[in-house]
Amino acid sequence: MKRVIVCYKWVPDGADIRIDERTRTLAMDGVSWTLNDFDRNAIEAGVQIKAATGCDLIGVTAGVDTEASGKDALSRGLDSLYYLSDQAMADADSRTTSEVLAGMIGRLGGADLVICSEASDDEYAQQTGPRLAALLGYSSVTCVSALSPSGESLSASRKLEEGVEDVEIAGPAVVSVVPDINQPPFPSVKQILGAKKKPSQAVALAEVVGDMDRIRPQLRTDSLLAPEVSRKRVSLSAGGVGAADAVAGLLKALAAEGVL
Amino acid sequence: MSTQWVIAETAALAAELIGGLRDLEDGVLTAFVGVDATEAKTLIALGADRVVALAPGNSTPWEDYVFPLVDRARTEAPDLVLVGATRRGRGLAAFLAASLDAPLVSDAKALSRREGRIQADRMVLGGLAVKTVSTDAATVIATVAAGVYAARAADLRRSGPIETLEPVAGRVRVTGRRLKDGGDVNLAGAKRVVGVGRGFADKADLALAEALATALGAELACSRPIAEFFKWMPEERYIGISGQAIKPDLYIAVGISGQAQHVYGIRDAKVIVSINKDETAPIGQKADYSIVGDLKEVLPVLTGAL
Ligand SMILES: Cc1cc2nc3c(=O)[nH]c(=O)nc-3n(C[C@H](O)[C@H](O)[C@H](O)COP(=O)(O)OP(=O)(O)OC[C@H]3O[C@@H](n4cnc5c(N)ncnc54)[C@H](O)[C@@H]3O)c2cc1C
Repeated sequence: MKRVIVCYKWVPDGADIRIDERTRTLAMDGVSWTLNDFDRNAIEAGVQIKAATGCDLIGVTAGVDTEASGKDALSRGLDSLYYLSDQAMADADSRTTSEVLAGMIGRLGGADLVICSEASDDEYAQQTGPRLAALLGYSSVTCVSALSPSGESLSASRKLEEGVEDVEIAGPAVVSVVPDINQPPFPSVKQILGAKKKPSQAVALAEVVGDMDRIRPQLRTDSLLAPEVSRKRVSLSAGGVGAADAVAGLLKALAAEGVL
Repeated sequence: MSTQWVIAETAALAAELIGGLRDLEDGVLTAFVGVDATEAKTLIALGADRVVALAPGNSTPWEDYVFPLVDRARTEAPDLVLVGATRRGRGLAAFLAASLDAPLVSDAKALSRREGRIQADRMVLGGLAVKTVSTDAATVIATVAAGVYAARAADLRRSGPIETLEPVAGRVRVTGRRLKDGGDVNLAGAKRVVGVGRGFADKADLALAEALATALGAELACSRPIAEFFKWMPEERYIGISGQAIKPDLYIAVGISGQAQHVYGIRDAKVIVSINKDETAPIGQKADYSIVGDLKEVLPVLTGAL
């Protein structure tokens, strides 16, 4: 393994999003942005491969205002960062994202291994890894829960519904890792301070995408609304009644619903 | 005549997707699915026009079928492809989509066709919002989870060809498969489910939830941290966007705060009950009935009253 690339996404923090109950619309202003949760595991998987092989470990990200992500991502053990920040990514679908990332990886001269996580907190589409593999002509291995380089090849375990599947991968691959592959440690103060000194390079969209038609989203967003809440929201403890009365009230209600 | 495809690992999931597609549009429906000859005939009775049986060998990843499927899609040009949203299915669908430069709607619900566009709903932002997307692409792919559609009634007069397809080997070789040891968890079919969360300070307190589940004839489930971090319960028992989605008649959330990622998995429950000591916990807004109180006090009373 000479070069390993970790792709990560900079996402809005769901905890900051406010919902207008009446219109069901989402207020995104003032929302802070954060490193996609599962991508911490992807970066840590890369860090462990670097420890085993001494490879170069590069972070790649494309999105809006991604330069802000560098500090956090680099403090987790990446050697350097290659990022693209463009407003055109604001309504990216999985096609857009994977085309742009493939262009960036191509410009870096490819990699022996590309590590993604299974999904992003915001879209949860679970497409980027396998799409990237198809575009780069690499193998795709998803649901990876263990990963170890052995000489020229790579062995991996996949966590599937019916159990674990062990595989051996020859040649370049894109793997999507599941969160139980590792427990990413909190970056140390030294790592956080060191992150500032690591190389970080911006790239423009026109440098990585030849045909702008190929990054046009294919899925149009027709609406984005909080799901309708049709729950009764009855508090059986209202008025400070005790557990016994609340339970009696609950059993009556459940019997009336016909679910007991 | 338009062409549609169903791709699924199992006959049961394929049957549901065939039912969904048949309600959506007419056309020649080919199902690519891991079945034997008898199951293949059943799928024809359930609405497929043609069944292509997939039987990968021991060292072949199921996803290697994507290579012949890409070639076949180029000649058959299906307008709609539904892929069963299993772990392998999701990966295959995305690889297929990029190879064909086609849009893919992940975990699609409420698929419809209007004015030449395919429209679908999907959950985003960890379950905080529903995004409605649409496309007019010539080939549209969607992954669909179990339970979204129902299989049709079998029509035994139907007949159709049954074929096989050979996977084309890639550079990934399966070296072993380790099946999970039994402990069959059937949350999907459970009528009543008791869910436990981080409100349980001690593993020993889970006995309170077990007693309630026994009294109710309910299955036990949990939030993600209980399975993934504390490992108090197997992962098949955690509910939510990255776990199981269930549709019981009754779900009782005990010591669960009601974060969107968890609630995603219980949206289709008929009645949701919450037992939580914090009256401001988000679950209060997402439940039909709430009891505000310490679970250690409330659970024994509830179990005793049943
Ligand atoms: C990408 C992503 C995917 C995720 N996917 C999932 C998923 O699929 N499923 C899932 O569950 N989570 C998921 N999560 C995690 C989710 O955001 C929440 O962190 C998690 O659901 C919280 O679990 P909890 O409700 O058990 O714990 P907490 O949020 O800590 O809530 C504990 C609750 O217990 C109450 N409590 C405490 N003591 C008592 C007591 N003595 N009696 C009664 N009540 C008490 C508290 O008031 C509190 O409301 C995901 C997160 C991310 C970022």
